[in-house]
Amino acid sequence: MQVSLSAMTVIDLKAAKKYIQYTANAGFQKIMLDLGLFCSGHALENYGKNTGAVEQEELSICLKRFLEQCGEKTFRIDTMRTPHLAWNTERTDLNDLMFRIAKESIQCCEVAGSRNLIVQPLFSGIDKESVWQENYSYLLELGHLAQQSRICLLLENQCRNMNGHFVRGVCSDVDEVAQWIDALNEALGDEVFGFCLDTAACNLCGQDMGEMVVILEKRLRSVLVRECDGLYESSRLAFTGMNSHGCGMDWAGLICGLRRMEFDGELIVDAHDTLRGFSPLLREQIYPLMKSVADYFVWQIEIERKIKKYSAWILFGAGQMCRNYMACYGRKYPPAFTCDNDAGLWGSFVCGLEVKSPKVLRQIPQDCVVIICNTYYKEIAKQLRDMGVVNIETFNDEYLPRR
Amino acid sequence: MMNICREDSGKGLDMKKLEVGTQGIHVISDEAPLEGFQMLKQAGFSGCDFGLNSYLQNYTLYQFVHNDFFNKTDRELEEFFAPHKKASELTGVRISQMHMPYPICVPKAPQEFNAYLQNVVAPQSLKICAYLACPYIVVHGFKLARELGSEEAEWERTEAFLHTLAPMARERGITLCIENIYTDVGKHIVEGPCCNARKAAMRIDQMNDRYGAEVLGFCFDTGHANLVGIDFEDFLTILGHRVKVLHIHDNDGISDLHQIPFTFSRDRGNRASTDWAGFIRGLANIQFGGILSFETAPALVAFPTEMKCHTLKFIANVGQYFADKIYDLS
Repeated sequence: MQVSLSAMTVIDLKAAKKYIQYTANAGFQKIMLDLGLFCSGHALENYGKNTGAVEQEELSICLKRFLEQCGEKTFRIDTMRTPHLAWNTERTDLNDLMFRIAKESIQCCEVAGSRNLIVQPLFSGIDKESVWQENYSYLLELGHLAQQSRICLLLENQCRNMNGHFVRGVCSDVDEVAQWIDALNEALGDEVFGFCLDTAACNLCGQDMGEMVVILEKRLRSVLVRECDGLYESSRLAFTGMNSHGCGMDWAGLICGLRRMEFDGELIVDAHDTLRGFSPLLREQIYPLMKSVADYFVWQIEIERKIKKYSAWILFGAGQMCRNYMACYGRKYPPAFTCDNDAGLWGSFVCGLEVKSPKVLRQIPQDCVVIICNTYYKEIAKQLRDMGVVNIETFNDEYLPRR
Repeated sequence: MMNICREDSGKGLDMKKLEVGTQGIHVISDEAPLEGFQMLKQAGFSGCDFGLNSYLQNYTLYQFVHNDFFNKTDRELEEFFAPHKKASELTGVRISQMHMPYPICVPKAPQEFNAYLQNVVAPQSLKICAYLACPYIVVHGFKLARELGSEEAEWERTEAFLHTLAPMARERGITLCIENIYTDVGKHIVEGPCCNARKAAMRIDQMNDRYGAEVLGFCFDTGHANLVGIDFEDFLTILGHRVKVLHIHDNDGISDLHQIPFTFSRDRGNRASTDWAGFIRGLANIQFGGILSFETAPALVAFPTEMKCHTLKFIANVGQYFADKIYDLS
């Protein structure tokens, strides 16, 4: 699985170097270049009304300047995102412009060597009956261009503005999206189209992200991980929307869903609104947290994949996490026994597993993995490495179905 | 108020303007049900959504507590509801739909508690439904997706429960109606059971094929749909003829407020933030032939008691507006 940070976290283009440095220091190796950085929804809304950014500068010029500012920081930009119209746009006359911008965005991808371009489907000024036909023509034409450039176009779920209330918009029905993508790919004779799931759009519409990703299957290439309060669009860092009732975003559902469908695409973290909330003097400290959150998502999503690649399993830990492992994976990936440092537990049984001394791990076969079922991961991993154990994985029960 | 008769508008003879109904709660009392039915009649309703949930309330169920109302014998239940039945017949306001107590599966409750709900309360509810000559009863699906790990696993449990009721439903000519309901994460409302129209349609068909009768249908709840941003028109159109009953009510898109349609706006344009035009188109698309039933009892509490009749009349007028619009489009 790949991890990227959205370039929208470059809060101030005039100080881009500084934010790029923060990104690099935090350990991000990839960025997702949202071209909205150079052409905002606000600029699009005012297009033609005054001298907007779109008319002043082509995206490719902005990109060149941005890449220069990246300087020696050689991030990979696997994915870009076209500038987006705001969901509450009043402009119904910009679809030709959006097509032009999308074509420019493909050119930008070529320049930066990006493989994916997240594309906003057309929605403004289009009635329900025509939405597929209009998008089919639009996307097919873009698809031909993308195909020539070997770029994958990722459709993205949208909200619809119902007089200030965001409801499900174009590409929010994943059954329909799957049909769209399949039809477009069939017409192009190639897998040119895929999907990027915007978690904030899902949350605004109360959608079950876990079920959505399972329906999308391999069409899902990327997930834009951003949090909002369910009322207004925003890009906050995941897990920051906690209140006295809990987190208002169903990250557990998403993680479980991505684990179920064995997601192996790109996780794109966007938290630019969280950053903007902090003083410029404090922002640098948020970047490592963003990286930790991204790594945490990857770890949680990949838990089962890591376990299933082995043919024999032994647990380390005889507490509740061991019990939860047995409840969820005990049948699929049955361990031979478990170990614990508590000598008082040796010889006892947990969920039918004998608890043994860790000393027995010195003689385990090469293809066997020891799965740590205890939150002292680092300490136990060191203990195991010191004993010569090679295959070490970690299990966690924070996001498991409560069977 | 538009009032188009079918002859004037040149509709086919099979096209009828939809009737309007509402909840009996806060109107019909067990002590004097006739007064309540008369009040509904005078306000302009011809259908009543008679909720059994008021006899076994959800807040007690969440505390794993139930009363013994449903322990009555069949004869006792019939005696209890005889005045309601008579009042309905006298006024011509028929009990067009009912609501089973909910939840019918309380997560984390002792097994015997849920067994009581599913094995006693549910079949008793069907008997009452049959006695009151009501063709539809709304049943909530189980909210177990988080516990079981998937919506499919959750549905399996609901389906197993529905199978226990289906033979009785077929025998008594009742259609059980599953409803789009919600759940929450940190008090933020997200979609719950039966919010996927395609899956619901497929499951309803499978169940009805198995029993060779319409034992399962759908109750479309506008308020719940609005809370989770469902596209009304698409949802209704996908479900089509499977939509048997409605719960019409409005909210701000944040909380399940059960208020009168067109009540809420979310911007200074002051237009409704709920897609009522989509609702009308959806019902017209599927040629809905049921009752436009409002689940707006909380509005009767929000307005002063002295205004109850006026409030009811206003709700009925909103229903009449929907009926007219749907008739125009059909």
